Amino acid sequence: MKRIAPERSHEQPLPTPDADSQAYWQALRDGRLLLQHCAWCNNVQVYHQAICRKCGSTALEHRPASGYATVYSFSVVHRAPGPAFKEDAPYAVLLVELDEGPRMISSFVGGKPEDVAFGMRLRLVCDSVTEEISLPRFTPINVETGGQSRPREET
Amino acid sequence: MSSLNELWDGNAPTIRGKTAIIGAGKSDVGRVPGKSVLALAAQAASAALSDAGIGRDAIDGVLASASFASPFHRFSVAFSEYFGLAPTFSNTLQVSGATAATMFNLAAAAISGGLARTILIVGSDSLYSGLTPDFALRAMSEGRDQQYEMPFGIPVANTFAMTAHRHMKEFGTTSEQLAKVAVIHREHARLTPGAQMTTPITVEDVLNSGWVTTPYHKLDCSLISDGAAAFVVTSADRAKAIGKSVPVYILGAGECYTHEHIFYMPSLTTTGAVQSSAGAYAMAKCSAPDIDVAGVYDCFTGTVIMILEDLGFCPKGEGGRFVDDGAITHGGAIPCNTHGGLLSFAHPGMPGSLFHFHEVVQQLRGCCGSRQVQGAELGLVHSLGAGFATNATTILGTEATL
Repeated sequence: MKRIAPERSHEQPLPTPDADSQAYWQALRDGRLLLQHCAWCNNVQVYHQAICRKCGSTALEHRPASGYATVYSFSVVHRAPGPAFKEDAPYAVLLVELDEGPRMISSFVGGKPEDVAFGMRLRLVCDSVTEEISLPRFTPINVETGGQSRPREET
Repeated sequence: MSSLNELWDGNAPTIRGKTAIIGAGKSDVGRVPGKSVLALAAQAASAALSDAGIGRDAIDGVLASASFASPFHRFSVAFSEYFGLAPTFSNTLQVSGATAATMFNLAAAAISGGLARTILIVGSDSLYSGLTPDFALRAMSEGRDQQYEMPFGIPVANTFAMTAHRHMKEFGTTSEQLAKVAVIHREHARLTPGAQMTTPITVEDVLNSGWVTTPYHKLDCSLISDGAAAFVVTSADRAKAIGKSVPVYILGAGECYTHEHIFYMPSLTTTGAVQSSAGAYAMAKCSAPDIDVAGVYDCFTGTVIMILEDLGFCPKGEGGRFVDDGAITHGGAIPCNTHGGLLSFAHPGMPGSLFHFHEVVQQLRGCCGSRQVQGAELGLVHSLGAGFATNATTILGTEATL
């Protein structure tokens, strides 16, 4: 099985875009989170792939997400997964539900990890971690000034 | 799951009762410095052959789980060379924690289908001594998605933690109920020779053990260990002819793989164990209340609570109260993990759930001494892994259950 070299164990893993995900990572550099919309069955998916996960169609359109989401579940990491994340701990990993439906894994910025709660409203922040890679993270929104987004019922 | 019941009705193909476990062996477990992964595997395999009363020449098949600390992709092949075997059936399996049960399911099918006559199942790893805990955690994360999950620093524990968190929100499961799972496992381990952790703990000890990833404290999490286990599986006919131990029959098998990424898990609180156990029960022609003793994958305390529900031992959402009422220990409705489980006996990675098999086999043989579940005839082991991505159930029984 794959074994990482000890000298690399302090580096945080960064995505290597592949043929499926190139457009996704390119758009994040430009500050947009792309979703794949199926022209045949209207399924909306994150995790970019060559076929619709629901109907198998290849007719997938990329459309930017609104960037608004709700905390579906979360966990505050105190014991990091190896040396690379030790200095970041404690940090909150989020399972967010995008307003468009799909869920995705992200992390919480712009607040204390202990403030994260179920149903909390969030908006996208594209965090430029290298010249090539921006990670989609989420930050709390003030509901009263949340622009086009209405507060949602807890899911 | 009426479709599954229909599938195994009447003359449908089945592996029910066609094969039996005739040998079970363990290596030294816990913290075992100075022994390679293959040496641990060989120690367990020798113990299993000796338990069965057969020699290496009786083995024509080898199934193994992959190892994190050993570099061999073809671990089953490397092990065969190391142990002096040249099998005519072999494979190395990797579906995370579920691998243990899948090895029994596949062995039963391979023997029933004529691919092999007598299969040695072996799992071994050295996460504590061979890798160190830091590297073990990183190595386990390396196999997860490197684009959509790992850049956010998501340990394997975190995916399980998010399901437990959601279970607490939806059903009111409490931290104290989670802690009770750990306390019971520690009590079980205290009765098991060779268990890694035997110091008694209380609910307060668990709650005060420090956060790992909320809602899990250190003592809500399983151990990081070294160790191996091995088994000999053969046809039911051959079991009586060649084995010296009381055969334990494989009665039913089921598996289910609902997602790879935690964000595609259909529900955070109901798992593929519903489908995998439904398949296994249908094939074994029994249901949850019939099971006398169980091995329930316990990588985290909340995992046990969710799986007890999904295996049908209690209604959905009731797992916390079920545990609190003493249902999973001696004298309860379904004694589980009577060896102490991954939480207190040992957790060397993919071999971890083989110890659940070892314990259930010994329970069905009636040789567990002070921790024996009296009259145990039907046993179940559920193995799972990767944030509930992989689920596999195996039902075992004595000759009386055939």
